[in-house]
Amino acid sequence: MIQPQTHLNVADNSRARELMCIRVIGASNRRYAHIGDVIVAVIKEAVPNTPLERSEVITAVIISTRKELKRDNGMIIRYDDNAAVVIDQEGNPKGTQIFGAIARELRQLNFTKIVSLAPEVL
Amino acid sequence: MRLEKCWFCSSTVYPGHGIQFVRNDAKIFHFCRSKCHKNFKMKRNPRKVKWTKAYRRLHGKDMTQDSTFEFERKRNRPERYDRNLAENTLKAIKKIDKIRSDRASDHIKNRLKTGKVQRQKEARKQLELGIHLVKAPLALAQDSSLCLLKIKVNVSQAQTEENQPMEE
Repeated sequence: MIQPQTHLNVADNSRARELMCIRVIGASNRRYAHIGDVIVAVIKEAVPNTPLERSEVITAVIISTRKELKRDNGMIIRYDDNAAVVIDQEGNPKGTQIFGAIARELRQLNFTKIVSLAPEVL
Repeated sequence: MRLEKCWFCSSTVYPGHGIQFVRNDAKIFHFCRSKCHKNFKMKRNPRKVKWTKAYRRLHGKDMTQDSTFEFERKRNRPERYDRNLAENTLKAIKKIDKIRSDRASDHIKNRLKTGKVQRQKEARKQLELGIHLVKAPLALAQDSSLCLLKIKVNVSQAQTEENQPMEE
């Protein structure tokens, strides 16, 4: 349940550390973003002296949320934090490594590159 | 589909039940119900919580080592479907389950045996001390067989004559 002003960790090595959600991409009335939704975010904290810097507006896809993800087979998955991966306009990740386990839903949403980079897919 | 074990209480989590929690180091915790999940969030150690299998195994309340446990190891290689194998496995599961539960209940029965002897001893002592609650003192004095303690009854000549009609 990510909404504007939500701070998210960054789950890849794209030199940003913390993002703040500004907008959820999708229907204009959409309130909350879940795993697999694309958001527009501003970088609140970044690794110094890198191409990405603080207060830069980027797009990201949400990888994990503290709010449970419910699947049709009855499985419910909850993560420990809210995290996102920085992507470009086509949906390719900006970084080269992903940290943490990724939910299978991302493959259905055509984030295949992210899924292939992930160390573990739940 | 896989039947997992609840991380907290070690019961089986069937599909459609419980919650999986993924920690930041990608370790997955399965919980069978919100009771276990909430205890986990409270940071309780299952080895110290009395109703969990972990506590019971640690404190010797339940069987820990048995050859029937070997059958239930986690296997990650999927087996090619073979109808005979599946049929035999299902039959075996039933049998092994029965054997395991019989052995487990035997283990508990043996554990409780020493307590039974102790309880009987205590019960006998309590009866001796409290026989006046069970039988009236008058009845005890008249018929010494009701009393468990050995009481010396001085029988005089007059008393035996009175008792004779009773014995007939």
